[in-house]
Amino acid sequence: LLGTATSRLTGLFRNALGGATLTKSSLQQPLAAMRNHLLEKNVAREAADRLCASVETDLLNQKTASFTSIDKTIRESMEKALTRILTPTSSLDLLRDVTTTTTGPSARPYVISIVGVNGVGKSTNLSKIAYFLLQNHFRVLIVAGDTFRSGAVEQLRVHVRNLSELARREAVGRVELFEKGYGKDAASVAKEAVSYASNNTGKGGGEMLYDVVLIDTAGRRHNDTRLMSSLTKFGQLANPDKIFMVGEALVGSDSVAQARNFAKEFVDTKGNLRNNGVGMDGFIISKCDTVGDMVGTLVSMVHATGIPVVFLGVGQHYGDLRGLNVGWAVERLMR
Amino acid sequence: MVLQDLGRRINTAVTDLTRAPTLDEKAFDSMLRDIANALAEADVNIRLVANLRKTIKTTVKFSELPPSANKKRIIQKAVFDALVDIVNPHQTPYQPKKGKSNVIMFVGLQGAGKTTTCTKLARWYMARGFKTCLVCADTFRAGAFDQLKQNAIKAKIPYYGSLTQTDPVVVARDGVEKFKKERFEIIIVDTSGRHHQEDALFAEMVEIQNAVQPQQTIMVLDASIGQAAEAQSRAFKETADFGAIIITKTDGAAAGGGAISAVAATHTPIVFIGTGEHLLDLEKFNPQSFVSKLLGMGDMQGLVEH
Ligand SMILES: Nc1nc2c(ncn2[C@@H]2O[C@H](COP(=O)(O)OP(=O)(O)OP(=O)(O)O)[C@@H](O)[C@H]2O)c(=O)[nH]1
Ligand SMILES: Nc1nc2c(ncn2[C@@H]2O[C@H](COP(=O)(O)OP(=O)(O)OP(=O)(O)O)[C@@H](O)[C@H]2O)c(=O)[nH]1
Ligand SMILES: [Mg+2]
Ligand SMILES: [Mg+2]
Repeated sequence: LLGTATSRLTGLFRNALGGATLTKSSLQQPLAAMRNHLLEKNVAREAADRLCASVETDLLNQKTASFTSIDKTIRESMEKALTRILTPTSSLDLLRDVTTTTTGPSARPYVISIVGVNGVGKSTNLSKIAYFLLQNHFRVLIVAGDTFRSGAVEQLRVHVRNLSELARREAVGRVELFEKGYGKDAASVAKEAVSYASNNTGKGGGEMLYDVVLIDTAGRRHNDTRLMSSLTKFGQLANPDKIFMVGEALVGSDSVAQARNFAKEFVDTKGNLRNNGVGMDGFIISKCDTVGDMVGTLVSMVHATGIPVVFLGVGQHYGDLRGLNVGWAVERLMR
Repeated sequence: MVLQDLGRRINTAVTDLTRAPTLDEKAFDSMLRDIANALAEADVNIRLVANLRKTIKTTVKFSELPPSANKKRIIQKAVFDALVDIVNPHQTPYQPKKGKSNVIMFVGLQGAGKTTTCTKLARWYMARGFKTCLVCADTFRAGAFDQLKQNAIKAKIPYYGSLTQTDPVVVARDGVEKFKKERFEIIIVDTSGRHHQEDALFAEMVEIQNAVQPQQTIMVLDASIGQAAEAQSRAFKETADFGAIIITKTDGAAAGGGAISAVAATHTPIVFIGTGEHLLDLEKFNPQSFVSKLLGMGDMQGLVEH
């Protein structure tokens, strides 16, 4: 007993002094602890394993810096790995994109649709995005594309009523609901809504009525092949500029399969995945306010697809939408 | 149901071990690691997984097993018992009684499936001869009352709610009082989604509970919940002292380990599981057969003495 305690102490001592060469065996235990740490933060096992492997590759045969322990060296490398994975490779400036699309000679409405599994927060976060666009003086058409779940249309009607009132008070953009009740095919409702917003139905057409068309869709299980494949048709008919998937921070390992299975439905008529082969344009990670530091879903979904996180949902009110601050997320994950 | 894959993996881990040319302690440890990985991947709470691993290790006491021992059987039983212990709440749920009013209040996180499940459960009791009704005490979520109303109408269940009253405590009290007077036997009260980080929401839950004095409070949990399950369910337990759990969306692909961790953290029985979005997609739940399914071996029941 004494022997192990002493050797552990000297181990620590040597460790703290730095200059230790990192081998597979000296990394094994601290990496296992790091992996457990990530799992506790709700990072899916697949992502945790991949991150730990990349840290191992990064550190193998390196020397620890002076006065730096192995644990600290691993932490720093993991922070780098997490930052790398969460940082989007191209920046998404939604407002600029909307402005570009809705102005000039070939102006047309900018179309965004929101997808995801049941109850994750699609309709609520769609309303938050509408609020954000309204504050930026855009005219928004909200489309009740969930023609299945009870109350889905009324839910949006209430949001539109609230948002109209807010817009009027703040003297910003305007918002309307486009709905065809229940039971209709979502793809055709969406298509109709886009042409209504463009106002190009009559001969010659008139002024575009709305800048942004925000399409809500029904929640669906990613293992329901029938409902999932209807997304393909939806994507092709509505032809959105952006498809955002809502992933819920509360969800565990399933987030990996959710992200992959939704992404793979969005192929064009030639069978190519949208958005340069990744399928969708971004994730909205909802309910971040309900998980404390356990924000691992962010990592799991990005890791699974390479699709960036564009918004975080941090509450149930219209203002509770944030852009992703990578430093904030990494700090929470490493805490 | 969702747990089969997990069951298969645990089963494989145990079988691989017993087929190994040398069934030594090293092989035993590696089996434990495989099981722990399968559980972690199924979203079982990571600390719970560590404890489970320790429990199996100490019950089996591999190095002390006599050479003649049926190692496979001993290990299988230890795994089975440890898993049963997690989902076994050591508590029986409330049984509604005919001829009196049984108030059942639903609580849970946002979007877990409360409103959908309320109607499913109401229909379940109605089909068994109870005079059943629904009260919508969610005055927060947009369209909540319309949602409950449309479901109730489809299922032909009387309902109560308000489009103008914004205080859920008042709506809950009024609705329950009205239905009690009319001698309803099952009165199910739906409430808004909430989470423990927001004190005001938890205080509201307590107020509703005080106003309607439910015989049973049920926590609804989504089968896909991950590591946050334990902290949230513990907080709901401490504040609302729910006596039963319903796991929804078990028709999804999630393994359900987070929800199982909630059972372990709160020692509360799962009474029903939701298996789809439709009215009839509700199944009564039995913890024992659940673990058998989890292990993917029907014959495991025989190994456990009662
Ligand atoms: N705490 C918190 N709750 C949220 C957040 N986003 C949404 N919610 C809540 O989650 C619940 C479900 O939200 P919805 O927007 O109806 O979810 P949905 O994905 O449209 O649901 P379906 O259409 O039924 O599939 C509601 O109670 C919302 O208020 C968030 O960021 N934080
Ligand atoms: N696939 C599947 N979907 C379900 C199940 N139970 C509920 N849902 C869906 O999950 C989503 C959310 O359900 P709700 O009943 O609105 O959830 P809630 O807990 O009342 O939500 P809030 O009131 O906003 O907190 C809806 O789309 C439901 O159709 C189930 O067992 N299986
Ligand atoms: Mg919705
Ligand atoms: Mg509800």
